Amino acid sequence: MAIPQTNESSLTQGQINQLEKATPFWKIIFNQFIEHKMAVAGSIVILIFVIIALGADIISSITGLDPQKQNVSARYLAPFSTSEFSMDMKENEIEKWSEKNPELAVELSNFIKEKSLFSATDGQNPLIGFGTQDVSVVTAAIASENSASINSFKELTKTFTTKHWFGTDEVGRDVLIRLIYGTRVSMGVGVMVAIASALIGLLVGSVAGFYGGRIDTALMRITDALLSLPLVPVLIVLAAVDLQKLPAIKALMRPDNESIVKMFIILCFFSWMTVARLVRGSILSLREREFVLAAKTLGAKDSTIIIKHMFPNVIAPMLVAISLGVGNSILFEAALSFLGLGIMPPTASWGNMLNNAQEVIYKNMWLTILPGIMILLTTISFNFVGDGLQDAVDPKSIRR
Amino acid sequence: MTTFILRRLIQTLVVIALLSYVCFYLMTLMPGDPVELMIQSNPKITSEDIVRLKQLYGLDQPAYKRYATWVSTIAQGDLGYSRTYRVPVGELMGPRLYNTFILSMLSLLISLAIALPMGIYSALNPGGKFDSFVNLFSFAGISIPSFWLALMLIIIFSVNLGWLPAGGTETVGMSDADYFTMIKDRGVYLILPILSLSIQQIGGFVRYARSAMLEAMRNDYIRTAKAKGLARNVIIWRHGFRNALIPLITIIALSFSTLFSGALLTETVFAYQGVGKLVYDSIIGNDYNVAMISFIISVSMVLLMNLVADILYGFADPRITFN
Repeated sequence: MAIPQTNESSLTQGQINQLEKATPFWKIIFNQFIEHKMAVAGSIVILIFVIIALGADIISSITGLDPQKQNVSARYLAPFSTSEFSMDMKENEIEKWSEKNPELAVELSNFIKEKSLFSATDGQNPLIGFGTQDVSVVTAAIASENSASINSFKELTKTFTTKHWFGTDEVGRDVLIRLIYGTRVSMGVGVMVAIASALIGLLVGSVAGFYGGRIDTALMRITDALLSLPLVPVLIVLAAVDLQKLPAIKALMRPDNESIVKMFIILCFFSWMTVARLVRGSILSLREREFVLAAKTLGAKDSTIIIKHMFPNVIAPMLVAISLGVGNSILFEAALSFLGLGIMPPTASWGNMLNNAQEVIYKNMWLTILPGIMILLTTISFNFVGDGLQDAVDPKSIRR
Repeated sequence: MTTFILRRLIQTLVVIALLSYVCFYLMTLMPGDPVELMIQSNPKITSEDIVRLKQLYGLDQPAYKRYATWVSTIAQGDLGYSRTYRVPVGELMGPRLYNTFILSMLSLLISLAIALPMGIYSALNPGGKFDSFVNLFSFAGISIPSFWLALMLIIIFSVNLGWLPAGGTETVGMSDADYFTMIKDRGVYLILPILSLSIQQIGGFVRYARSAMLEAMRNDYIRTAKAKGLARNVIIWRHGFRNALIPLITIIALSFSTLFSGALLTETVFAYQGVGKLVYDSIIGNDYNVAMISFIISVSMVLLMNLVADILYGFADPRITFN
């Protein structure tokens, strides 16, 4: 807060009150944070993605797009193109419609014969023959007509075409809706891994820092050993393992979330180390502070001292670590899914949408470009937010 | 110093040994052991055959006994046989290690050659236009998925422009050509992998170079040197840069771990025949002998580089003692 550069007498009572009121800690951080333009931009992007991820089902029901729906007659469509059902899919739909509305179907067949809109060959149902033509032909033929049967049929033919803003993939699924559902999986895994591993790190770091001695040495040896491993090869080995063979983990898994749970466990196992070191460092210095000594003198339990007196002091740096961790987790999830070892199809994630990108490049390069842009946007946003938080909680670290 | 190096060396070896056992155990958890694969490919196999085969391969033994057998064969110099490539593992590893070495060293050198001047320049002119560009670039570098960057380079340079091959290590049949043609040929295949590895590494290095240089230039002796009236170049290079180098050496040596991780993905995307691709292919293809050896070699390389980093740190900064 800027202090006005005037002598005291010229201050109004309101200004004095404002000056005397202490700014709460979170507000200081917030004010610092919004100074960092890229961090603010990053948080807006993240907010939009969170809304998209939470509203994926709503978006799907409004647009009528289904992430799982395949259409082999419309593979590799370019962005902004429209796909049509294949002949047999149309036939199926028309048959379903006629079963539902038998009288409308009879009326429409008679109408088609009357106006000779379609010359049926022997044994062919004129309704199906007419309806399975190109949608543009059908709508042009009945555009000016207006009756109950035709209006209902018009509604039906409308569902035969789908607009694909981002095109379709190798089995004709809509890329846009898969990206939207992928946001849910990829960001969900990223955020959950970051939070869970921060909690593990908090536990390990505080135990090591508080008790010191042999416990500290042992825990930090493990931390350092894990930190020094090249992550991608190690993660690949772990991801290739059939975790179902481990009974403890089997209980957590259902067939539909198996790969997500597995990814979560593996990534958590390798992301807690930075937080652990950070927390240990702060706890080591906090241990020597007077308020801890005071709590000890008053006979507080170890757990009380750690949780009540030390944790509030490490929350701020942990927030930074979490937001930087989300970006990393998303990157690792994407890399493993890209290699075919992460999130398994048909569940869409940004990484597994890139799974056979190398072959697909020549057919439709947008299939490769779009999921990557989503990953890049999300990770860069989280990294900027982490940077902004870092500056906010520790003004000494601001880039000068 | 010697005791420190010895102690660290023993620690590293212990980690490698532990890790190799963990890796061995994990491999037993992977779907499809050799006998299972034989059962799949041969429907006429009887249950007695299966028992006999399991005994032959030692698969009826617990994991630690199999590990002991495996270690003793390794100790005798027998690295095993690759199921996929039909050659001894030792023969397979040599050229792969060479390929990965060339790829990672070249990209490390190139990214350092670009990142250090960039970082130093932006540290000397903080807050300027170039500085904010460097900031944005380094954030993009650390946030971009490495495999996607590689795919984008393929789209631009191979699919659209058609300048460079989309993947591979060398043109088939080139090994008979004379030396210079061969180097030229391999160079063409190296450009895109190196580019994609370097772009990411520059992102990380620039950040560290900038902050190390900023930190060094804020010291009191820099002010003293300025007050003495020393030339700007002398201040920057002899007083500033030399001190900025200390943290940089560690960062560079530690970056081998990420370099190797990145190289695995890059090699896979570009079908470049290096160790990283071998690790991936052998794990996917249930080629256990190759997977174990290549994994252990790659992890050991990284751990040894970390050790080298610690030792170099002591040489770069005489104030550090190893006690």
